[in-house]
Amino acid sequence: MRTLTMLLARWRAQARLDFMWMTRDFRFFVINVVSDIVLNLAGITAVFLLAERFGGIGPWSRDQILFMLGYAALVRGILEVGFGYNVLAISRRIGRGQLDHTLVQPQPLWMALLTEGFMPFSGLWQLLTGAGITLWAILQLDAAPSAVWWLTLAGSLAASCAVVLAFSWLWGSLAFWAPVAAEEVSSRAFGFLYQLKSFPLDGLSSFLLAGMLTVLPVGFVAWYPCRQLLGIAPPDFWHTPLAALAVSLVAAFVFRRGLKHYARTGSQRYVGWGHRG
Amino acid sequence: MHGQDRNATSAGDIAVRLAGVDKTFHQRQRSEQVRDVFRNLFRPVVREVHALRGVDLAIRHGEIVAYAGPNGAGKSTTVKLLSSVLAPTAGTVRCLGMDPMKDRVRYVGRIGVVFGQRTELWWDQPVAASFEWKRVVWNIPRDRYESMLAFVTELLGIGEFFHTLARQLSLGQKMRADLALMLMHEPEILFLDEPTIGVDVLAKRNILQFVKDLNREKGVTVMITSHDMDELEQLAGRIVMIDRGRIAFDGDFGALRREFGDRRHLVLETADTAPPRLGAVRHVRSEGNRHHFTFDAARTPIPALLQLAAGQTTIRDVETHRSRIDDVIADMYEHWDSDKGGSGDGGDDVASGEG
Repeated sequence: MRTLTMLLARWRAQARLDFMWMTRDFRFFVINVVSDIVLNLAGITAVFLLAERFGGIGPWSRDQILFMLGYAALVRGILEVGFGYNVLAISRRIGRGQLDHTLVQPQPLWMALLTEGFMPFSGLWQLLTGAGITLWAILQLDAAPSAVWWLTLAGSLAASCAVVLAFSWLWGSLAFWAPVAAEEVSSRAFGFLYQLKSFPLDGLSSFLLAGMLTVLPVGFVAWYPCRQLLGIAPPDFWHTPLAALAVSLVAAFVFRRGLKHYARTGSQRYVGWGHRG
Repeated sequence: MHGQDRNATSAGDIAVRLAGVDKTFHQRQRSEQVRDVFRNLFRPVVREVHALRGVDLAIRHGEIVAYAGPNGAGKSTTVKLLSSVLAPTAGTVRCLGMDPMKDRVRYVGRIGVVFGQRTELWWDQPVAASFEWKRVVWNIPRDRYESMLAFVTELLGIGEFFHTLARQLSLGQKMRADLALMLMHEPEILFLDEPTIGVDVLAKRNILQFVKDLNREKGVTVMITSHDMDELEQLAGRIVMIDRGRIAFDGDFGALRREFGDRRHLVLETADTAPPRLGAVRHVRSEGNRHHFTFDAARTPIPALLQLAAGQTTIRDVETHRSRIDDVIADMYEHWDSDKGGSGDGGDDVASGEG
């Protein structure tokens, strides 16, 4: 109970910081909102236009594609809201020596990292864009989702977010050993995941598809869970959470090894603007 | 090391104790030769850098200790060991009865750390926002928070920029805000790693005065590192000098001066522009017919020097004064450097091996 109270107090404090930051200037506020919405829409437009032009892609109808794009945008929005300030891009915090700041705070590391990136106002616009597209697609699909379906959607979203977060941390943890290189590698790996998240992966060879569901688990960001949710594939809703668990365990293992290394070597470089820039 | 045995102090009195602490880092060496490319890739030469070697140090509650040494001596490593950021390679670190690594969460709630070139302030937020954030994360009760805020605002004068964005502060303002922020949870020990680096003379004076006041009024233990020995001498009763990872001196500033001779500065104004030759006394510079020397008054009596000079030229004026502590330290570093070049003991802080 005490832990929950501490978490809520920290999220509230971060929300306040974020709100004050967003509303410091009206022009800045408008630019920030508009650019976030445009950015999120731009990320999914290409696939949507293809679906519109050909009346769908493979086994997916146009509206089903739209649902998947909305789902992918929602995943991104949730991560923006919950894991800003380079918690998601953890390689930057590690590689820029910013963990030193976190370590001198009287709270467990997991608690700091779970709460410090909470940006419910500046990340909200991406989240709203994703939610809007998803809801619109559901309406277009003319389905009447049950309560169980909504719960499954929520669970799948959480699992997809966990896959992205763990994948980013897995690569980002390399910064414990190679601070500069890891920032580059991690950002490429992460960018790759985000770029491919909007593509339906049907029709790929089994070899490629296996890769997209293991080494580069992009399939679990949107494609795989949406197939289940939309009934394109037989329901096996435990696959995405299982993938999330597997990637999380590997990421946690590498991160812990990295932390031990950090205690031995310390930060190999320090960048003043770190995560707070 | 100077004779004073700090470890003789009773355990209850001790706020910080380092016993036989070693800290070793490994640095990969890369040859620039193309022929070494496979060696660089698969069997790189790894250099062991001994940042700290067998450091024994005890600091009493309520003490201000200056921790000094040349660049790379191990000062910041020591502060990081005491801040839960680094673990020692060997030996034990105890502070407030705790192990900084094992008891990190509980421990860091009772200490305050400031790194001179880093900031805890939220960069894109007003200073006030960082204080509110600190209240929550450090779980400071509201009444204690308000009273500490009033205290630090008065002592450090942060009111004038409390609502300014952190990134718009001057270096001195930023440091004052960081010091104030660090104090909000009323730490029992402060570790200040070069807190005055880059700040102007006035801001420096204010910061030092603040540390003194805090120590006097609240009995806070302070360990401060700096390259500015004059400021350390104003602040601390005790100085610990570290050189290449080893404690080279531990005592008061008077003892430090005595250890390295009674260094004096002599200015002779003579009839000639050529400086008189004064044996082993070091000629520093000449400005026209004003000649500057340094000498050890314990070894070379001033009357003898003047007699020697008078035998060579007409003396018009004489000034003599004690050297600044900075000069004493510079001599000390020079002495250590020459030891490093000359003796096997001093020069082996780096051991090469293959890893």
